[in-house]
Amino acid sequence: MEYKQKNDNALVDMIDIHKYFGSVQVLRGIDFHVDRQEIVGLLGDNGAGKSTLIKVLTGYHSLTRGQIFFDDEAVRINSPHDARELGIETVHQDLALVPLMSIARNFWLGQEPTYEVGPFRFLDKKKMASESIRALADVGIHIRDSEETVGNMSGGERQSVAIGRAVYFGKKLLILDEPTSALSVGETQKVLDYTIAAKEKGMSVIFITHNIRHVYEVADRFTIIERGHKLGDFHKSEVSENEVADMIVTGQIPERLRLFDEEEGEVA
Amino acid sequence: MMQAYFEGKREASNIGALVTILSFGFAILGLVIAYGIYFGWIPLGERANILRWSQGINTVEIIVTAASLIYAVCFARTLYGLARREQSSLRWSQWMFFVTIMIGAAILLSVAIPVGLKFSLLLGQVSDLRLLISEDVGGLAAIALSIGEALISISLFIIALVALLALLVFLIPPLEALRDRPGISMIVSPPRKFIQAILIVLGIGVIGFLVAGAAVVAEYPGQTTIRDAENHRLLAGLLFFLPGFFGYRVVRQVEEQSDELRRAVALTPGKFIRAELAKSPSAGAIIGFIAIFMGFTMATDLFLEPSSVASFLSNVATKGVIAIGVTYLMISGEFDLSVGSILGVTALSFMNFMTHGAPIFGVVGPIPAALLAILVAFVLGAINGVLLISTRIPSFIVTLGTMLAFRAITLVAIAGGRILRYSDHHTELPVIGISNIVFLALAVIGLALVAFTAYRVLPVLFRGAAQAWSIRANNGDFGTSSAIVRAFVFALILLILLAIVVWLAAVLSYHGSASGGEIVEVGYFDLFNGRVLAIGEEGDFFHMQIPRNANVRLAIVWWFIFVAIFHVVLTSTSFGNSIFATGGNEGAARAQGVNVDRVKLQNFVIVALLTGIAAIYETARNPGVDPLKGTGWELEVIAMTVIGGALLTGGYGSVVGSLLGALIFGMLQTGLVLVGIESRLFSGTIGVIIIAAVVLNTLVRGARQN
Repeated sequence: MEYKQKNDNALVDMIDIHKYFGSVQVLRGIDFHVDRQEIVGLLGDNGAGKSTLIKVLTGYHSLTRGQIFFDDEAVRINSPHDARELGIETVHQDLALVPLMSIARNFWLGQEPTYEVGPFRFLDKKKMASESIRALADVGIHIRDSEETVGNMSGGERQSVAIGRAVYFGKKLLILDEPTSALSVGETQKVLDYTIAAKEKGMSVIFITHNIRHVYEVADRFTIIERGHKLGDFHKSEVSENEVADMIVTGQIPERLRLFDEEEGEVA
Repeated sequence: MMQAYFEGKREASNIGALVTILSFGFAILGLVIAYGIYFGWIPLGERANILRWSQGINTVEIIVTAASLIYAVCFARTLYGLARREQSSLRWSQWMFFVTIMIGAAILLSVAIPVGLKFSLLLGQVSDLRLLISEDVGGLAAIALSIGEALISISLFIIALVALLALLVFLIPPLEALRDRPGISMIVSPPRKFIQAILIVLGIGVIGFLVAGAAVVAEYPGQTTIRDAENHRLLAGLLFFLPGFFGYRVVRQVEEQSDELRRAVALTPGKFIRAELAKSPSAGAIIGFIAIFMGFTMATDLFLEPSSVASFLSNVATKGVIAIGVTYLMISGEFDLSVGSILGVTALSFMNFMTHGAPIFGVVGPIPAALLAILVAFVLGAINGVLLISTRIPSFIVTLGTMLAFRAITLVAIAGGRILRYSDHHTELPVIGISNIVFLALAVIGLALVAFTAYRVLPVLFRGAAQAWSIRANNGDFGTSSAIVRAFVFALILLILLAIVVWLAAVLSYHGSASGGEIVEVGYFDLFNGRVLAIGEEGDFFHMQIPRNANVRLAIVWWFIFVAIFHVVLTSTSFGNSIFATGGNEGAARAQGVNVDRVKLQNFVIVALLTGIAAIYETARNPGVDPLKGTGWELEVIAMTVIGGALLTGGYGSVVGSLLGALIFGMLQTGLVLVGIESRLFSGTIGVIIIAAVVLNTLVRGARQN
């Protein structure tokens, strides 16, 4: 089956995504796209399929049917490594950083700067320390000591470091998986600020959460998923915070908005 | 009050004056000690037999003399600072008093440890101690013993009672519900004063016991290998300890009274050392190593002998090599129970290839046989790794299975519990002739390494020292002093490097000259793990004077080289970084593009290769293989690694820690025998040490996290 990219300006365009685990249909033909320099709130109740969709995009699951376009090219993402190569960075609640390692080592993990002595390559620790402090300061995160272990940092600081890392390495797409669910109010606000900073540096962001209040503040558009189907795409200007919250809970589109969805090609 | 002294207030200057006088006293004491050692009326060198160059020159004496001189100079500088009312001399004097307390404590312990040990050994030998004391030693010791016994039993009884009651409260839910009632809360969390009182009673009891012990021990000199009691040193110890403690307390109070900011910036020596230790994964091992080393050195004269040190190093060198690999594996979150069996199979293959022949090559010489045997180890390690990553079974179970399966290979191959001996198949041990060019080449490589180190280190140090000197005027009260210290460090390292160059030059000229230019006959096995005396001239290994009776094996050298290499790989390469990440948070490592499975497989292979190398050492030391070779090694090696600070859950640990763990292991093995404690207590001691070391590691890590 041939697929064509639907959205011309999209950074990511996922078309007709199906994912079956055995006979269980988790995703039943979802179309999902993220434009360049756009923050998309991916919303849905538990079990709606939003994390499966993201895992398909980041290579943890292979898709049963469908096509993914990234940067206007059809791609196959078979492993997290592939996703990373494309420039997709995921910040999970727990999986972002290694708690027992220092900030600098976490920052550079997987792509450490090295210098060569003969045939051997050693870590360039000076660069690791100075560059990580500088790069994090660039997105507004000020750390005292790059040798401090991440385990001593608060949840918000950890998220911030992970976001700062993604921005520094010039990733194109940042996926934040429930980034604020364990954070205090002040820390949440900081993470939201960094998210906007990431957008201003040219990245697109997918922001997954159940907490509509957090995402409503920063997102440009919301995609709501309901039991393996997409309920719809809504621009921030079209809907109020309460309407989005109602849709997540009831799985119904309010009368006022139904017209828009037919145009978007919503699966009934 | 010190603060008032610094502000020049007359009425509060008494304590300041006292501290000044103390500093003066310690400065003179340092000079006296240096003088005493130099002219031989403080007999230190008799004790420290190790590192004796030749008649009359003793490295330990020189080091202690130099240390005493430095100590005196530092105290003199403190004195000068105090007299000039420089604020920063406070920090300085605090450190000096801290060092003084340590010296005092060391001297006191050097009396208490032998007395305690010897007394307890005598207790074991003599049936009725009270009779012995009343007949031979006299009344005072008997009274001290009775008081000590009574107080210790009372306090231990109370502690046990409280603990038991608290346990009952914890176990029985209805009581737990009442835990806030006064009577019960007394039991669950006793008031501080109560705990202190019990501890004081216990302390007095222990002191009474020690006094009685000292009296008894003084009555029976020279009965055991433990050093005789030298009670006169108690006075010297107290002379250091008490004034030092007083000075430390006084100076500390000052810093705590001073303003908030200064308190936040100023680290007391205790806090500083704790913070520094917390940075190292192997804090527990470092403390344990120092404590055990000092303890044995103080307990018996036999411990710090070249032959004893050589013997314990030789005993653990092979296990230490395996422990390096197990540390890697444990940091990456996995675990290997099969190393003992891999060792057995590799040793068997090595021996078999030399006696019965390898599959394709036939009977081969030692070096090809060693290479082939290590290949076998590689395959076994790869089996472990592939099983793990393909089945996702926990490594505990995978390697439990392979441990038993690999053991079957040796059990089947060597029938009926025989021993496969090299001498049963060959009449002579294999020999290789080493030309002097090899020695020359080694010396040249050594020179190149020294040159490289000098190139990397010396300019940095020199620039630092020069800079410190140029800004000394603006660098606070101690600008000049710290510049001098930096210059001193530079000179010291330069001297050490020069000494190594001189030594290598001597090696070069010896092997380059006509007299040394012959081909040296060396046993192949000696190359792997021989006594180093077998290589080179009699009693001379690369121009190092090694006593004839010392069992210095070449595997020690290999071990240290491996530790250095693997330490650098772990801490300074991206491979090392990915090992830490794999064990610390597998998901994060994978998300950052680390190939977790490959890292784990690589680590299993590294363990197996190092085990294979260890097997070659073991076989070369004693050319015979029995079917049970290596049984039980896996747990010993894991014990070394855990003592060294590696977390069983992964993500944390160090190669140097495994070195320290192995050294602790070896010191206990040899030291307990030398002290005269039954070797049957060895495993019990190791058990206690493992738990203590891990608790220490956890405490120190907790200190950092707060």
